[in-house]
Amino acid sequence: MIVAVAWDWSYWSTFGGELAAGLGRTLEASAIAVAGAYAIGVVLGAARAHRIPVVSQLAAVYVEVIRNTPILVQIFLLYFGLPQFGILIDPFIVAWLSVMIWGGAFNTENFRAGFEAVSYRHREAAFALGFRALPAFLNVTLPIGGRIALPSTINTSISVVKNTSLMFVIGYAEFTTTALHINALSPRTWEMILTLGVVYLTLVWTLSALVRLLEGRLALPEEAR
Amino acid sequence: MLAVSLGLPEWAEPIVRYMATEGLKGTARIAVIALVGSLVIGMVLGTLLTLRFTLVRAAIRGYIEVWRGLPILVTVFMVFFALPALGIRLDVFVSAGIALMLWGSAQVAEATRGAVQSIPREQHEAAAALGFGWVGRHVNVILPQAYRRLIPPLVGLLVNILQNTTIAAVIGATELLESGKQSIERVAAVPPAGYGEIHSFEIYGAVAVVFFVISFPLTRLAAYLERRLV
Repeated sequence: MIVAVAWDWSYWSTFGGELAAGLGRTLEASAIAVAGAYAIGVVLGAARAHRIPVVSQLAAVYVEVIRNTPILVQIFLLYFGLPQFGILIDPFIVAWLSVMIWGGAFNTENFRAGFEAVSYRHREAAFALGFRALPAFLNVTLPIGGRIALPSTINTSISVVKNTSLMFVIGYAEFTTTALHINALSPRTWEMILTLGVVYLTLVWTLSALVRLLEGRLALPEEAR
Repeated sequence: MLAVSLGLPEWAEPIVRYMATEGLKGTARIAVIALVGSLVIGMVLGTLLTLRFTLVRAAIRGYIEVWRGLPILVTVFMVFFALPALGIRLDVFVSAGIALMLWGSAQVAEATRGAVQSIPREQHEAAAALGFGWVGRHVNVILPQAYRRLIPPLVGLLVNILQNTTIAAVIGATELLESGKQSIERVAAVPPAGYGEIHSFEIYGAVAVVFFVISFPLTRLAAYLERRLV
């Protein structure tokens, strides 16, 4: 029962390069997915907040479907379901696309809430100054609402990064998959657990610290509420 | 038999039965372990977190930040590999349930802390004025109100736990998603073993529909309770 762990230090010297490459792929897929999820979130969030016909309803369906089905099932449908119709998607594309679709749904809700929190007085003021709908959105609603939404969108981004670990099921060699494959060939259970834990917690805690920092810095001044 | 009466194609009938019995049963097993464990551990830790013992608080903080911070798939594999290395042998359902419990209890603890701290100071003072001691004040006044505020986030957590039970598929637990995967392979097998057909889209689609049908009313309920109870 006693965990007398004799660390095999050669684990990191032997597999460090491979693990770093895996981490690189995690970050690459995450970066694309996070950027895409922000784009989806701003556009669909605006459509939801301003009740743009058809787009708003379609966005609502998209959000509910993604939020109420497991992301793993979404990944399986993309990677193992679509080939039934001859649609084969590269594992790397599935890696960022699936988490981007997922994060986009959550960001749509984040930005919708942010944009809806912008007081109508501000938009009225913009219209009075002669702004049309789109410039009013870009110059008034987006800067204020985006600031309100930012902390929750970073939390969604953190989840997007964590969810790239699910690419294990499609065999895409991101960080978790790399660590597990190494462990399958040369088992070093505790070294693997430590490595996974330290790397993911460093990533996640750094981003969470950023959220807390921004929450303080970006809180709207009284007159902008 | 049931499936035939529903007008399903021949290949689907045994699959529907397998997934509805074995698959859903596995999902339920994992979800129950995870949910009960998360509630008990999370509410205790969350309540303790509102006390003034710095050391206890730091330890609980660490627990919450670690299990909330790790991707659930990583936690599932950690439990799956660590327990046997410690000489503990558990079946995959329990392993997955424990992993989800670690994550879920961290969520519940954080929600509980927030709920307890959201009770205004005046409630403490009023209870003290009525002659309640520290324990009586908490048991009779503060915690009943705080736990009531916990209900909406807990419904949300139930949805998350249900959806995350699918991650147990990676360690081979036959829950709904894994039962679907096995069914796809069975249907794809060369006749007479299978039907030699690929039906992955329909089967994974059906899994998604089942989860949606369970989750959607629950998320609506959580949103409704949020408005009603707080």
